[in-house]
Amino acid sequence: MRNLIVLGGSSHPQLTRSICRNLTIEQAQVDSKKFSNGETSIEIEGSVREKDVFIIQSGCGDVNDNFIELLIMIAACKTASAKRVTAVLPLFPYSRQPDVPHAASLTGAPSISTKKDQYTFESAPSTPRPLSRGEKDREARPSSPSPIPSAVSRSNSQNSGQQNSLLGKATLKNSIVKQPTPVRNTKVPPHMPMSIVTNSAATNVPQVDVYGKTESGYKQWIAQNGTLVANLLTTAGADRCITMDLHDPQFQGFFDIPVDNLYSKPLLKHYIADYIPNYQDCVIVSPDSGGAKRATAIADVLGCSFALIHKERRAKVSNVPPSTSGTGMIYPNGSAVVATTMLVGNVKDRVCVLIDDLVDTSYTITRAAKLLKNQGAKYVYALITHGVFSGDSINRINKSDIDKIVVTNSVPQGANVEALNGKLEVLDVSRVLAESIRRIHNGESISMLFDYGW
Amino acid sequence: MSVAQNSIKLIYGNSHPKLAQLIAQRLGMETAKVCAFQYTNKETAVAVGESVRDEDVYIIQTGCGEREINDFLMELLFIINACKIASARRITAVIPNFPYARQDKKDKSRAPITAKLIANLLQTAGCHHVITMDLHASQIQGFFRAPVDNLYAEPSVLRYVRENFDLSNIIIVSPDAGGAKRVASIADKLDANFALIHKERQKANEVSKMVLVGDVRNKVCLLIDDMADTCGTLVKASDILLSNGASKVVAIVTHGIFSSNAIDKLNASKLDKIICTNSLPLEDAAAKCNKLDVIDISATLAEAIRRLHNGESVSYLFNHAPA
Repeated sequence: MRNLIVLGGSSHPQLTRSICRNLTIEQAQVDSKKFSNGETSIEIEGSVREKDVFIIQSGCGDVNDNFIELLIMIAACKTASAKRVTAVLPLFPYSRQPDVPHAASLTGAPSISTKKDQYTFESAPSTPRPLSRGEKDREARPSSPSPIPSAVSRSNSQNSGQQNSLLGKATLKNSIVKQPTPVRNTKVPPHMPMSIVTNSAATNVPQVDVYGKTESGYKQWIAQNGTLVANLLTTAGADRCITMDLHDPQFQGFFDIPVDNLYSKPLLKHYIADYIPNYQDCVIVSPDSGGAKRATAIADVLGCSFALIHKERRAKVSNVPPSTSGTGMIYPNGSAVVATTMLVGNVKDRVCVLIDDLVDTSYTITRAAKLLKNQGAKYVYALITHGVFSGDSINRINKSDIDKIVVTNSVPQGANVEALNGKLEVLDVSRVLAESIRRIHNGESISMLFDYGW
Repeated sequence: MSVAQNSIKLIYGNSHPKLAQLIAQRLGMETAKVCAFQYTNKETAVAVGESVRDEDVYIIQTGCGEREINDFLMELLFIINACKIASARRITAVIPNFPYARQDKKDKSRAPITAKLIANLLQTAGCHHVITMDLHASQIQGFFRAPVDNLYAEPSVLRYVRENFDLSNIIIVSPDAGGAKRVASIADKLDANFALIHKERQKANEVSKMVLVGDVRNKVCLLIDDMADTCGTLVKASDILLSNGASKVVAIVTHGIFSSNAIDKLNASKLDKIICTNSLPLEDAAAKCNKLDVIDISATLAEAIRRLHNGESVSYLFNHAPA
């Protein structure tokens, strides 16, 4: 194809190669390296003047490094007089960010601080809430692990290490140290994940109660980065954007440039129809209420029945329909939130297919699978578009009740296939992406890709 | 600090909390309860724990870290954006060491002008004003539509030299032609002689051949530059100066990046001392290298913040270091 140039970032070279193979073109060479001080350096080898350039970069691995690399590549093409630059982001970075600090953290966007070896299957992820007085109180309890030196005074904060000085500051800020509050809830799991945020400015944030309120009454919130990420791409010079299964379809509205949101639905549909025996009898399950629409769409097309797992968080546990044992989160001020998952629909002796757009920490789907098996499910598939598998999710899935997990290669899966010995299957999205690139380049409609796949 | 409307809010990212503490101490205030953290999938997020509505917000984040430089950059963008969504009146990014400052020109075909990109990104995020220090090329100020205050470490360096060296026996040396102007200005103010080393560079971060212009015999040489990255230049320059009869060589730089094995090189070198400002965190470097001495520039930054907030002139700081 004339004037078509496909470049790949360093996040997913394999996908770039297979897209180029599908398009039967040579991949353009980019010299992407890092200076010794960590700055990213980009040099595009061939001419891109007046060319239609597509840059493939997934939002995985070192998300920020890859994203900055993409921005620099776009800017480099623009300054090199490319006619049009399209960013192809199979997994869009920052498309999913929790809006409420705690509700969200209960479901599965824990901070990087989660201790690797300390989780139990039941344990809720630690909250992305930084070290505060609460933790210091908890630390005082003999049972909990204490990874930080507790005796820090203000005076030595100057010459001691960084962390010490920050702790010193925390002590300073919260000079009134409360006694540990008695634990009211009896359904506490044995392990309480400590949330020590590795980064330091964290100590700045005040203690927050269940509802995100601080002592001053200001409700702590987490900034939504979606619009900014969209604007950054536009600023760098992207003229168009291709992505896949955006977590929120509204995300498209954040852009001032055209965004083509492809769907993996046809791929997943084909997998169910081709590889699950007697698929008409299986139950399509959405692991949370947010994904219900995605799952029902597939269930409708295939004529399968549908079930939903609903997560509820209440201050008190009531006797509810089939559910996992409550997973309690005790907050330092003594209040407790219990997250219970319950199943709506019948799965007894049926094959269940969990459908979701993203598996990250895998708390949601492993818990869902456990609940399904408890309710008598025969076999549990999990069909998920983007397999990020961060933190210790691989371990958790290996130990979980999921019998088969199917993801696409929107994110490199090489290492995960081995780690999940036999449990993981990978669907190829390079054909869909290549076809959308071909159609966009030729100015053809891509809407048929939404329904039929490629 | 008045509690009335539109007061200063000081926010810092994770790149250099110590500098932020020093600035906060200097300004006699506490930092705001806004922080950045990372999820397990390595996405950055910002938690806002207090109101910044209608406030004058200063965000302190320097460009550093061999692995985290891009993380810190994204962090800065997200904090700026968070303040913007939170209706801050004015957002000022305080970036002592401007990241990607050396990628400021299209030196090869199809090379990006990344410094310009960073300037655009900062403004897209919602930055109204930038405070930085000793930009590698002051033309980077022109990459911004927003005002940029490029502070100088020079007054602090001058004070340090006056306090620690015998002025009658020093000669100021520029390790490359690009820094000649900076060095000449310092030499004038100290009333000292100056010399220049001309280097022929073949590849980035690699120095091939050096020629000394000027007489350094039996003098204490002060090598002055804006940054020390791999330190190859400084080490070679010091060898040349010593072989030309210098009695002692001391290096003074603004930004001590010390990437890859720079510290080992310094330890093995014949440099007597290396002095840099705390525009970057230096705890690790200082622990490994006893030749390192640090000039605190938090006072200059704090004073710039105070003056900017009160609408006073900042140009006083170009020639004076606050005590």
